[in-house]
Formats: sequence, C-alpha cells, structure tokens
Amino acid sequence: MKEYSQDISTLIDNELHDDMVIKHILDDTESQKQFSRYQLIGDVMRDESEGLDLRIDITNSVMAVIVNETQDNKIVPVATPEKVESNVVPFMKRFGQYAIAASVAGVVVVSSLMINQNVATDPSVTPVLNTVPFGGAAAPVSLQAKPVQTKSDIKERNEHLEALLKDHQLQLQVQP
Amino acid sequence: MNERELDLQLIQRIQNGEQQAFALLVRKYQTRVANILTRYVRSSGDIPDVSQEVFIKVYKSLPNFRGDSAFYTWLFRITVNTAKNYLTSQSRRPPASDIDAEEADSYDGSGALKDDANPEAILHSQEVKQVILKVIGDLPDELKSAITLRELEGMSYDEIAQIESCPIGTVRSRIFRAREAIDKQLKPLLEH
Repeated sequence: MKEYSQDISTLIDNELHDDMVIKHILDDTESQKQFSRYQLIGDVMRDESEGLDLRIDITNSVMAVIVNETQDNKIVPVATPEKVESNVVPFMKRFGQYAIAASVAGVVVVSSLMINQNVATDPSVTPVLNTVPFGGAAAPVSLQAKPVQTKSDIKERNEHLEALLKDHQLQLQVQP
Repeated sequence: MNERELDLQLIQRIQNGEQQAFALLVRKYQTRVANILTRYVRSSGDIPDVSQEVFIKVYKSLPNFRGDSAFYTWLFRITVNTAKNYLTSQSRRPPASDIDAEEADSYDGSGALKDDANPEAILHSQEVKQVILKVIGDLPDELKSAITLRELEGMSYDEIAQIESCPIGTVRSRIFRAREAIDKQLKPLLEH
C-alpha cells in the first residue's frame, strides 16, 4: 500500500497537483486527520491558534448538517409548477353566450305571442292566482291576456324581431 | 501550484457533487476562521457554533463562487459578515476598528480581546504550541530551516531549494520529515 504522508505534506504546501492523492485523502479518515494536524502545525507556528480550543474539530458537525440538508432537499423535490388555466372567459365568448341566450329568449317570447293570438280566452276558466286588484282593472300583461294590438303595433314588433334575429345571426358570424 | 489551486480543485469537486471535498476545506481553514472570529466573538464557547455557521454559509454559497478572488478572501468576507450578524443578534456592536478583506492573509488576531476565554482551552493551546516549538527546536538545522521558511516565510519549494542550495525533492523530504516529527508529539495531544 502506498504511503501518502509525504504527498499530504506536499499537497498542503500547494506543491502537488495529483487527483489520486486528493481522492485518497477524501476516502481515508486517518489521512484527513493527518491533513488537519499538518495544517495545524503551520497555524500554530504563525500564532493563528492563540486562545482557541484546539481539541474542537468542527469538520464532522459541519458535514453532518450539510448531509442532512441535502437529504431534506432530496425528500422534498422541487415541484414542477403545473400549467395554470385561466378562469377568465374571453370577452367575445361571454358576449356571444349572452347574445345567443337573448336571441333564444326573444324567439320563445315571440312564438308564445304568436300562438296566443289565436287562442280565445275562456271566461269560465278561473285563473289559479287572481291578480286583479280589488276595485280596479288590471292591465293585460299576462301571456293569457288578449292584447289590444293595432296593425302598426304588430308591424313594429315584427320589425323589432327581425332586427333581433339579424343581430343574432351577426353574433353567430362574429363568434370564434 | 499556487495557494489557490488546491482550493479551486476542491471547489470544483464540490461543484461536481463530491460533497466530501468540502471536509478538506473545513479542515484547512477552520483554525483561521476561528482566529478571525476571536476578533468579534468574545465568548470563546460560541466560536465553534459561529464557525460552523460560517462554513455552512460558504457551502451554500459555493455555486455562486466564480473564482474572481482567492477562496480565502471570499471566506474571510463571509466570516466577518457572519460575525457581525452574530453580534447584532446578541445586541452587541461590532468592533470600532474593522479589518479589511485585503488584509485577510496577514491578519493576526492574537491581540484581540477575549474576555470569556476558556482557561482549560488556553492551557491546552499553550501546551500544543510549546510542544511544537520544542520539537522544532530539537530538529536538525536543515529540517528546522526548511519548515520555518515554508510556514513562516511562505516560500515555495523552489525558493527554499535556492536558499538551501539543494534539489526541490530534498526540500520536500525535509519539510515532510519535520512535520512527521512534530506530528508524532502532537497527535496524542489532540486525541481525546
């Protein structure tokens, strides 16, 4: 087995560039202690150890902390952030949804009005909920009520509905 | 090979994942770090803890070490900053006279106040020093000269070889034999 003591001495003096020697010291605890003592000889000669407790060697405690911290880091791997999807609905999509809903509602209302125009109101049928106020007359706001409509009213309403439908078609074209 | 190369070699190993290489840096510099800390940390009992904190900070910061300055200069700055943080945490003011990172290599903290020194540690430290100096005094002149020129004057093997008029290999051998002789007496003093 090769004797490394002189190599350790030369390495401390920065006069040796040998990976094998460094590897040997790193693998051998006794060589590391010898490295420390050789280093200490110089420190003491230069008066750099005055008043220090030379029996204390912090190497092991420092390395223990480092190893523990490294292990902790391995146990808790850095999580890769998942792609966060935005909750913000694009303006055009939301606007298109409202346009469709409004158009459908408009069509339903118009259809009901058209159907109810031809149905005669039966006076014998009592409404489930009597909404006629005492001592007064109710305005015909119910779908069952027979509205008083002039031809101009119907024409105006149909024009309005056509405008709504055109708007709806336009929205459909605009929608992505 | 200059002073920086071993440090850089070790740092490169650490940066490549060889964690154990950091132990050698700690072994190499722990006495010097503790010596700097005596300038700031009056309670000698706290010095090992603060030293440990310094080296852990150094380890965590190593990925950012670019090698623009010497490792020891960088270590010195971290040591001083950690010491100042320690004083702040202890609600004590840092010393009025500061030491510069440029003076790191030549800084001698032996004159610093140590009002809470451990008498047992001081005795042990003195004993270690006496043993080392005694062994050096008893060495043959050529070994004594080689180890002194290297450790106190910081000369390279080549410079010592020129002064001593001998081959570099002889200088290497003399310095090693001097250390070996000292280590023989030192080792029992450091073992618990």
